[in-house]
Amino acid sequence: MEDFWYEFIEIIQTIGDGLLFGSTYALIGIGFTLIFGAMGKLNMSYAAAAIAGAYSGLAAFVLIDAPLFLVFLISSFASAVLGYLLYLCCFRFIPSSNHLAALMASVGGLFLIDELIVHATQGSPLTFPSIFEDSYFEIGPFGIRGDLLFVFLIGLVSTGILLYVLFRTRLGLATRAVAQQDVAARLCGIGVHKTNSMTFAIAGLLGGIAGAMTAAAVGVLSPVMTVPLTIKGLIVTVIGGLGSIPGAIIAGLFVGGFENVFLYVRGIDERDMYVVALLFIFLVFRPNGLFSKTITRD
Amino acid sequence: MLYLEDIRTFYGEIEALKGLTLEARKGEVTCVLGPNGAGKTTTMFTIAGILKPRTGTLFLEDENLTHVSAQSRVRKGIALVPENRLIFPQMTIAENLDTGALSRPLKDAGIQEDILKMYERFPRLHERKEQMAGTLSGGEQQMLAIARALMAKPKILLMDEPSLGLAPLIVKEIFNIIRQLNEEGVTILLVEQNAKMALTVADHVYLIEQGKVTFNGNPSEIHQDEVIRRAYLGSEVS
Repeated sequence: MEDFWYEFIEIIQTIGDGLLFGSTYALIGIGFTLIFGAMGKLNMSYAAAAIAGAYSGLAAFVLIDAPLFLVFLISSFASAVLGYLLYLCCFRFIPSSNHLAALMASVGGLFLIDELIVHATQGSPLTFPSIFEDSYFEIGPFGIRGDLLFVFLIGLVSTGILLYVLFRTRLGLATRAVAQQDVAARLCGIGVHKTNSMTFAIAGLLGGIAGAMTAAAVGVLSPVMTVPLTIKGLIVTVIGGLGSIPGAIIAGLFVGGFENVFLYVRGIDERDMYVVALLFIFLVFRPNGLFSKTITRD
Repeated sequence: MLYLEDIRTFYGEIEALKGLTLEARKGEVTCVLGPNGAGKTTTMFTIAGILKPRTGTLFLEDENLTHVSAQSRVRKGIALVPENRLIFPQMTIAENLDTGALSRPLKDAGIQEDILKMYERFPRLHERKEQMAGTLSGGEQQMLAIARALMAKPKILLMDEPSLGLAPLIVKEIFNIIRQLNEEGVTILLVEQNAKMALTVADHVYLIEQGKVTFNGNPSEIHQDEVIRRAYLGSEVS
């Protein structure tokens, strides 16, 4: 009986840790979904730009001993600038009807960023400054890691700011208009390219924060993080429903919790197998994800 | 007010408008009639700047807008109510109206006042202002599309087939709105297949076929022309 109780506490604890870390996946998922919503296209280089942003933050930490908040800020802005450049290179000048060309261009962007990071770091992992790693809060039999709590709170605040921009500002109105009906948006005097480039930059801001959050929670930055983060982002986007922000948030937390359970039950070697299997299950049984965007008459 | 001269618009190598020349005079309802595929919607998209003509010129009140982008044309005073409405389905009615005013400066104090005017003109939109636009009926969506275009404070309102897919009663209502807007001084360029209804509001009529103007005159002249009358209004109209 005592063993069962111990196991139960451990599993709940594992799920809780996963949910907190899942906020990084939620941010990456929101970025994917924002861009998909605006252009109807997947930006495969998005998570790589997020990690590259985190490298910029790390560079500021190493070179000028930047404080942590500045590391996060630089990560975020660097990723936004990269997001804008990737829009120019992979989407802006490729005819909008040619989905495959834009997709392949962004896959190219992913590998290019990856190669640049490998080249700049000789492929070695670098230590990323941890945050609140010694903090630990106890609630009954459960504990909350300070760094994971911090990551979660940053994710929450970033999402809150994003939702405010999307639903309470003119820029957000223009972004949603372009996402829903781009011809009508142009007829309302909205510059579609300008709005799209802003969407890439905003998604980049979130990506940079997510990249820095991931690195801070793990304690290292490595070029091998780009592809798994891309895959997790895609899984979150599919599970949440392409184009759905609430879907991306919930799916991000869900994937975080789910992968930690499998980390606990089956170990690190098998964990990602089950997460990818989850993608297949959703594609077969609920291909539109948790939240469908379709609005119909009563 | 709006003047198009020798406009040629292409889809790839297909010439959709073959040297179109037309004028919409200030304060009037100018109506463009024509069969399917004549180039009516292409004309509207070319005026709105969504399509770029290969040759020709477009003037609005003596200002050459031929090479001006779609978003700038809205600021210059051209607003289009597109075919099939194209409202933003996942936004509320209120947000659709706000989007219509995005071409106006943020500090324009008249925006809120104009929104209230729209609600006054279209009480059904007011009743449902927090409802998602995608859940509205066809007629309500058409009203929303008109209201959204008016929020840009246009000098000329382009309307592409406003009666398309609507029940006869709603079509009458829409044409009443067009008449009312015109009486208030709004210049309108109307594209329609419903020639009978269109002629009840038109001051001037153009017929276009295969991308060219084949008739240009006032509605009474159409009634007098036997061939045109039979083709567009049916033989029973005298």
